[in-house]
Amino acid sequence: MNGHRVRAVAKRIVLGFRRDRRSLGLLFVAPVVVLSLVGAVWGVATERVPTVVVATDRFNFPAPIVDRFVASSAIHGRRGTFEEGLSQLRDGKVDAVVWLEGTTLHIQIEGADPLESGSIGGAIQKALADTLAGASVLLGGGPAVQVDQLYGGPDYSILDYLAPVLVAFFAFFFIFLLSAVSFLRERTTGTLERLMATPLRRAELVLGYLAGFSFFALLQAIVILLFTVFVLKVHYRGTLATIFIVEAVLVIGAVSLGLLVSAAARNELQAVQFVPIVLLPQVFLSGLLIPVDQLPDYLRPLSAVLPLTYANEALRSVMIKGYELADPLVLRDIGILVVFGLVMAVGAVTSIRREVA
Amino acid sequence: MFPADELNVETEFAVDAQGVRKRFGAIEALRGLDLAIRAGEIYGLLGPNGSGKTTFIRCVAGLLRPEGGMLTVLGGAPSAAVSAGRVGYMTQAAALYGDLSVDENLRFFAALQGVAHADERIVEALRTVDLLDRQRSVVNTLSSGMRTRVSLAATLLHRPSLLLLDEPTVGVDPLLRQEFWAYFRKLAASGTTLLVSSHVMDEASRCDRLGLIRAGAVLAEGTANELVARAGTPDLESAFLALAEAR
Repeated sequence: MNGHRVRAVAKRIVLGFRRDRRSLGLLFVAPVVVLSLVGAVWGVATERVPTVVVATDRFNFPAPIVDRFVASSAIHGRRGTFEEGLSQLRDGKVDAVVWLEGTTLHIQIEGADPLESGSIGGAIQKALADTLAGASVLLGGGPAVQVDQLYGGPDYSILDYLAPVLVAFFAFFFIFLLSAVSFLRERTTGTLERLMATPLRRAELVLGYLAGFSFFALLQAIVILLFTVFVLKVHYRGTLATIFIVEAVLVIGAVSLGLLVSAAARNELQAVQFVPIVLLPQVFLSGLLIPVDQLPDYLRPLSAVLPLTYANEALRSVMIKGYELADPLVLRDIGILVVFGLVMAVGAVTSIRREVA
Repeated sequence: MFPADELNVETEFAVDAQGVRKRFGAIEALRGLDLAIRAGEIYGLLGPNGSGKTTFIRCVAGLLRPEGGMLTVLGGAPSAAVSAGRVGYMTQAAALYGDLSVDENLRFFAALQGVAHADERIVEALRTVDLLDRQRSVVNTLSSGMRTRVSLAATLLHRPSLLLLDEPTVGVDPLLRQEFWAYFRKLAASGTTLLVSSHVMDEASRCDRLGLIRAGAVLAEGTANELVARAGTPDLESAFLALAEAR
């Protein structure tokens, strides 16, 4: 072992980084950006107050107790009939409907997102506890609580709830990485320079890349989907074709984003360092780990520009709630994903400057 | 400053550069470069490393936009000549797809250039660079000299009017280098203009005319004999040094 030689190797690495300012920047900026997000998402109390319809036609508590329950600060209480409440719950206008059956308090929630369900159930139980404080003696103890879900239920495992978002994330992640690094090789091997000295236009190059990679991206989407459904035996309610269409528009957008990122990077090292910058915000802000509704207000606009936010919403709607392709929400999400793909593709075209040096 | 998009095929000069300037940050790569390359001649751009040869060739190939001066390629803007498929550019590095075969690479570049009868052209180009027997070989399995030959073949497929060759004989053995130059001469005889960059002086004598370039400007232009006579030196290398000192 020769210390001089080890030192020479170490020095070579330090000097190399000194001249690669982009890598150096990403080395320090990427973790700070990601940690800021983690702090913002998990470090701030983001208890959201759910909107709850108290079905007065099925809530035979004494009027003062009903008034106290509706006015509780733990929920945004509303009065309505049971049918009105259920209709609003299906439309996503309220978070829960509560009513009494005998001595059992029923809480009807949507149930597509277990994290959100837990938070809603907790808030309603707190409202109930506040309401009954001091009154339980009168009533001979609090009522039993039963939570009912519109979607999902006891036969659903945590994987059933997570599968839609994991399908989207993995499809996006792998194809983004592959397209970013592959396109970069055009630059580092000199073939991009050669291509730009032919009649080939930048838009043609990007479209060609999109077509080539989308072929593999779609194959990958099929493999992920079939494995999830037939091997992992995840519950799903919508049609496979609708799930595939959502996945397809997402991965085509991922290819475009990969091309755009590779245009910003000068070497493979830099491209790899863009991965956390692009992917981790989507992990934290797209509804994968935390429901979008529970994000701090100032992070919502960022969540609204991330493709996975819409893919997650669409895939949850299709796989857990059974929405069809023609549903306005699914169509809107697919439309946004298509626009995202187009914007990224145009960005990629403009970023491949004629001056490829 | 920049010529119109239309090409003029009857132009006397395939490349006409007047006062071309290009800088990269603090470095001024081309400092008012003047030269004119006649249609159908082999023009040698001769100079040491870092003198601006590749920068100028990349300007001619439409890859870099000069910041000043006037640059006309085949009577029009460089990008118009490239878009019309009239320019062939052989980069210094082989710049091929290593995981494709020789045939697949050539077929791809032929498609980009809109080459009709690609099969015949590929065979013709591979015969020229003496690699017909490696048509099915994957490029990554070839030696660096063979890759250079494939790279030249890729440049020849569409029979360009102007061929830009950036140090084309680097890594090529002497025997094949002879054959390359014989082929370049044949191309010129058929009307193709060739701009060849090199820092090897003994290749200069094979060119019709030379531009001696240093620090982004042309020191002198003429045939090898004219330059030697002008400098009053026994050979071209001494002539280059004498002309550089005189500046």
